[in-house]
Amino acid sequence: MKHPNQATLALHAGGDLNILARWRTGRHLAQCAVCRDELAAFEAVREIAPELREIPEIPWQRLAAEMKANIRLGLEAGECVRPGEKPLRETRWFTGARTAVAFASMVALVVTGLVLERPAPRDAASEGRVAETTAYGIQLSEDGQAMGLLHAGAQEQNVTSTVSARGGVRERYVDPETGYVTINNVDAQ
Amino acid sequence: MSEVIEPGLELVDRQNRFVSEHLRRIFIQIYRIVGNVADAQDLTQEAFIKALQHQEQLKDEQKAAHWLSRIATNTAIDFLRRSGRASFCELDEAPQSQGESPEQLLLRSEQRNYLEDGLRLLSPRERAALLLRDVEGLPAEEVARQLECSMATVRSHIANARKKFRLYMERRKR
Repeated sequence: MKHPNQATLALHAGGDLNILARWRTGRHLAQCAVCRDELAAFEAVREIAPELREIPEIPWQRLAAEMKANIRLGLEAGECVRPGEKPLRETRWFTGARTAVAFASMVALVVTGLVLERPAPRDAASEGRVAETTAYGIQLSEDGQAMGLLHAGAQEQNVTSTVSARGGVRERYVDPETGYVTINNVDAQ
Repeated sequence: MSEVIEPGLELVDRQNRFVSEHLRRIFIQIYRIVGNVADAQDLTQEAFIKALQHQEQLKDEQKAAHWLSRIATNTAIDFLRRSGRASFCELDEAPQSQGESPEQLLLRSEQRNYLEDGLRLLSPRERAALLLRDVEGLPAEEVARQLECSMATVRSHIANARKKFRLYMERRKR
C-alpha cells in the first residue's frame, strides 16, 4: 500500500487538496490507521492555530491614536513632496478658458485646412485672356486684340488639338510634304 | 470657497474612516507576522500610508479591504526579509488585562509563548500563509492573491508550515 506523503496529509487536514487528490487521500485514509494518526496530528495544528488570534494586552486606544496621527502626518508629508500632483478626481478637464482656447484652435485649424486645400483657381478667362484653336492655328485674344500662332499649309485632318486644365492649348500638326511634326503649346496666363 | 475646500475634507474624512475601520485588523495581521508591537505599529502605519496614497483604489470597499491586507502582508514579509528576525519579546512587557486571575494570566502567557515559539520556526512566507489560512480562515485562493504567488506555491507554504508546526508540537510534548 502506498501512503500519501506528509504534505498531502497536511493539506488534507485543512481541506486544501483538489477534488481528485482529496478523494484519493480520503479513500486511502479509510483503510489506513497509520495515516489517520498522521492526519490527526495535522488537525491538532489546525485546532491550535486560532489561538494565535489572541494578541498581547496592549493599550489599544493609545496605540490606535498614535498610529492614526502618524498616518495622517505621513500622508501630509507625502503631499508636500509632490505639490504639483493633483488627484485625478479633482481635476476639471473642461474649464471655460480651456474650452475657449481649444475651440478657437480647432476653428483656426479647419479654416487653414480649407484654404490650403482649395487655392483660388488661376482662371485665364476671368483675367480677359483666352486661348483657342482656329482653322489657321492657335489664337490668343485679350480685350478685343488677338495674336495667332499659324501653321500655314496644314490641312485640318493633320492637326490634333488638346486643351489643358490651365486654359492653355496644344496643337500638333504634320506637314504633308515634308512629314515633319510641329507641336505648339500656348498658355493663356 | 466652500466648494473648493469640501472635496479635500471629504477625502480626509473618507481616509480617516478607512483607517478606523481597518486599523485593528491590519495591526493584528502584521503583529502576528512580525511578532512585536513596535515593529507592527511602524509597519501598520507604513501599510496604510502606501494604501492611502493610491486612494483611487478605495472606491470599492470590499476590494479595498483585500488590497489593504495584501499590502500589509507584503510590508511585513519584506520587513522580515530585510531584518531577518521575528521577535515576540514585548508580549511579557505588555500591561495585563483586568478580570483574570494571576494563574489564568500565567497560563495564557505560557500558551502564547508556546505558539509564538512555533511560529518563529517558519519562514516569513510560511508564517504568513499559515496565519492567513488557519488563523484568519481565508481560502487558499485568497492567500495566494495576498502573497502574490501561485496556488501551488501557497499549498507548498501551507503544507510546510503545518509540518514544521506539527513537529514543533511533538517535540515540546516530549
